[in-house]
Amino acid sequence: MGWNKVAIIGVGLIKFGELFEKSWEIMVEEAYLNAINSVDKGFNPKDIEAAWLGDCRPGAHGSQTLAGVSLVGNIGLAGIPCTHIENGCPTGSDTFRNGCLGVASGVYDVVLVVGAEKMRDKSTAELLSLASQGHPIIQRGETAMTMFAPQAIRHMHEYGTTKEQMAMVAVKNHKNGVYDPYSHYRYEITIEDVYKSPMVCSPLNLLDCCPQTDGAAAAILCRADMAEKYTDKTVYVAGFGMGTDVFYVHEKEDFTEFVASVRAAKQAYSMAGIGPGDIDVAEVHDCFTITEIINYEDLGFCSKGQGGKLIEKGETYIGGRIPVNPSGGLISKGHPLGATGIAQISELFWQLREEVRASGGFGDPAINEKRQVEIKKGYALQHNVGGRGISNSVVTILTNKKG
Amino acid sequence: MPTHESGSTAQSIEEYIDPRLKPLIKMPESPSERPRLIGNKCKFCKEYFFPKRVLCPNCLKEEGLEDVLLSHRGRLYTYCIVKAAPLGFSAPYAVGYVDLPEGLRIFSPLTVDNEKELQIGMDLELFVDKIREDETGKTVYGYRFRPFSI
Repeated sequence: MGWNKVAIIGVGLIKFGELFEKSWEIMVEEAYLNAINSVDKGFNPKDIEAAWLGDCRPGAHGSQTLAGVSLVGNIGLAGIPCTHIENGCPTGSDTFRNGCLGVASGVYDVVLVVGAEKMRDKSTAELLSLASQGHPIIQRGETAMTMFAPQAIRHMHEYGTTKEQMAMVAVKNHKNGVYDPYSHYRYEITIEDVYKSPMVCSPLNLLDCCPQTDGAAAAILCRADMAEKYTDKTVYVAGFGMGTDVFYVHEKEDFTEFVASVRAAKQAYSMAGIGPGDIDVAEVHDCFTITEIINYEDLGFCSKGQGGKLIEKGETYIGGRIPVNPSGGLISKGHPLGATGIAQISELFWQLREEVRASGGFGDPAINEKRQVEIKKGYALQHNVGGRGISNSVVTILTNKKG
Repeated sequence: MPTHESGSTAQSIEEYIDPRLKPLIKMPESPSERPRLIGNKCKFCKEYFFPKRVLCPNCLKEEGLEDVLLSHRGRLYTYCIVKAAPLGFSAPYAVGYVDLPEGLRIFSPLTVDNEKELQIGMDLELFVDKIREDETGKTVYGYRFRPFSI
């Protein structure tokens, strides 16, 4: 029996990629339109009573003080409340979580959540600098990669995880990305390709890393008991959790796990009343290949230290015991920080409704359907982890089961 | 340009230290001393902190915190070699997490002759040297670690 107080009635995203030709506002408007047009029984935008907007790096695209009005002011909803969320890599999923809280509070019946990010308007060196600028302790060479690559070294040291196992994650997610019309990259790679790609931060090669991607995603949520007005194929929020940990990476005791993820997952599983064995499909935070391996362990898909073996045995492939990142994940689909979490939720919405073939009316159905997983128990899990200290995680569990 | 060698005077290096780091570093007052990081310690739970805290997160008290000079030697817990640098840094460079005997872990750039030397568990010592260039191109100094053999 899940929490199930909030229903998702529509989702929409835009094709992720290098979208130099699209302004931030255009990306947001397109994702929003796709979401409202996706509602099965039609949708009047005036039903939206409040909105949340996720964007992590407004300074990277000339909108330093972005504020919620940059969403509602551009889609004809000026007047309703809109809150801007910034919460590191889980920005999109925390935006979704806040929308759920808004509906569950009883204050709003129908809300809109949108996440977007422009990651390509700044140079790589500038983007790498953004997170540390102005901080005396951190602005000493820390980047996103110096948070995650040392985890890889430590996981290899303690559990014998290999470069090959990490590369397998990239191979799997690139293969899945071929079947996702929204994915930034749509080509397969081999383990050799990963090894031959430039070293970015030893031991992580370029193909161990997610790209810098522009994108936007949106979802419409309502009170679960109102969902039938909009759809006969409701997806419910069975549970969610948000976990935090220490501020500095150096304060983490153990560099082979993300405590924030463990905490978020524990809350979400408890709220949904299920365990990892009930999950049919997961979209998890593969900012780097090692991150996905550690996520397997933190989310309970395997025991501690066994993440490398799980991918090696093929259990997280589509058709495996627990398919992970059928959308291509951050590594192939891309990671526009504000959009990522909501895009993951969109993918799981289609997976649970067994509508991956249509994928919101985008792409070639015959290709899209190759990433449809088998829905057995009716639960899907979304996960992000990141932010300062890799200390911020959101886990959301969705279900197609009513009540 | 000053060097990190102990022969140079504290004053000459101090000019270049990131002003925000100065409260965290005690520079040597004689050639025989080493630079040390300044942390604090809670007298109730005995835990050390770097950077210094104003509230002990274990005891939730502020009155037990006392400034302490931290060990300048430690062991490498984990590391990586950066090949894509942020602004003000030149790749490649190594960074690591260094465990001090006090039970503290310090994030730091590392100075090594050859990146192949880097090994979990290796002995390292703190010194003060160039960290980056600021927006005006001025060299900014701060604390780093380098291999140390007894």
